[in-house]
Amino acid sequence: MSTRSPNIAGSTYSLMVWTPIIPGREAQLRSLLEGLAATGSPLAQVPRTHMARWLVVPAMPVPPGTDVHDPLGGPFLLFTSNFDGDVDSYLHELCELIPDAAAAIWSHCVGCPQPAAGAALKAYLHRNQVDSGFAFAAYGDASVQRIRTALDKRERLADFAVRAQDMDRATRRKAFLKEFGPA
Amino acid sequence: MSLPAVSIDAPPSNVAGRTTSITLFTTQKWWGRFFMPFMFTTSRAAPKALEAMDKLSFISFASWSLIRELPYNGPPQTVRRLRYPHLFFEVSFNGSWAQYIDSSVRVLTTGMYSFWSSSRTFPGPLPASPFQRFFKTHEVDTSHYYCAYPEATVTIVRSALALEERLDMFAHRAQNLPEDAFDAAWDAFLEDAQRFL
Repeated sequence: MSTRSPNIAGSTYSLMVWTPIIPGREAQLRSLLEGLAATGSPLAQVPRTHMARWLVVPAMPVPPGTDVHDPLGGPFLLFTSNFDGDVDSYLHELCELIPDAAAAIWSHCVGCPQPAAGAALKAYLHRNQVDSGFAFAAYGDASVQRIRTALDKRERLADFAVRAQDMDRATRRKAFLKEFGPA
Repeated sequence: MSLPAVSIDAPPSNVAGRTTSITLFTTQKWWGRFFMPFMFTTSRAAPKALEAMDKLSFISFASWSLIRELPYNGPPQTVRRLRYPHLFFEVSFNGSWAQYIDSSVRVLTTGMYSFWSSSRTFPGPLPASPFQRFFKTHEVDTSHYYCAYPEATVTIVRSALALEERLDMFAHRAQNLPEDAFDAAWDAFLEDAQRFL
């Protein structure tokens, strides 16, 4: 049997952090999270992040027609992220690269250190991590940076292919090497 | 019994560009606590089992987890151990919510049974409508969703990665090509590269 970590798919890591929200703070936190998109996601400043989400889990959904209520005792904040590399350095980056957003979000949670910053916040997030069972990544061996570079080259090549039609032989080769030749 | 149709759209907060997210929690039957860890171990040991999902080429990331207890942070948190195990599922994919469900139930029918049969009230993947309702009932909406390359689908990303390798090789070779040989090589490269553009 494989000993692969349940959180790893290729070179990417699937992180899940559960933190209980301080009673009475759910609406405020929800409003803060929903407003993040308006100014651009702070996660764009954590460059190893492929996909990530924050959500408020008020209660476990109850299957209709059953009585299997499972009270959480209060709402939880769930943060998940698919990123490149290891979790330790990622949590460090999360706390260092977006300190204001991280503090504003997790300071609404029970047990969060005050101030919500640096090594103490990182340890708090680590402590509240829950392992995945199984993680899937469609292109898990490609980093965010490599994907962005490849997407950029693809777009530039498509553009160049159109422009190249009107170039003479000498110009085409020269222009190609200028655009795509090894640095 | 006729049940109302579910909304087949995802709320804007679950969408980033062309990528949509779903987050789901389903309560497990008694045997799910044993079966799901077995499924996870099997899937990790033999990832080829998910080849069909991989070939669908619209799911970028997905993860499953069995939640039996939550990290404890002291008062006022009151709950640590849950009454029932819950299956957590999250996925990022291209296209609409309805397309995801439709493609999944039709192509991944066996896999759907494997991953969802231990969930209470799982109706089976087909017909699609009851399964759509099952998903909607157990879904929790995202408050903030981020994607680093929101306009790129899985197919585009894979094409770009494959193209980059070919482009870099051709660029390296083109350096040493005489001017009169470049045109033919360029045409051949472009013919090959077209499927990735």
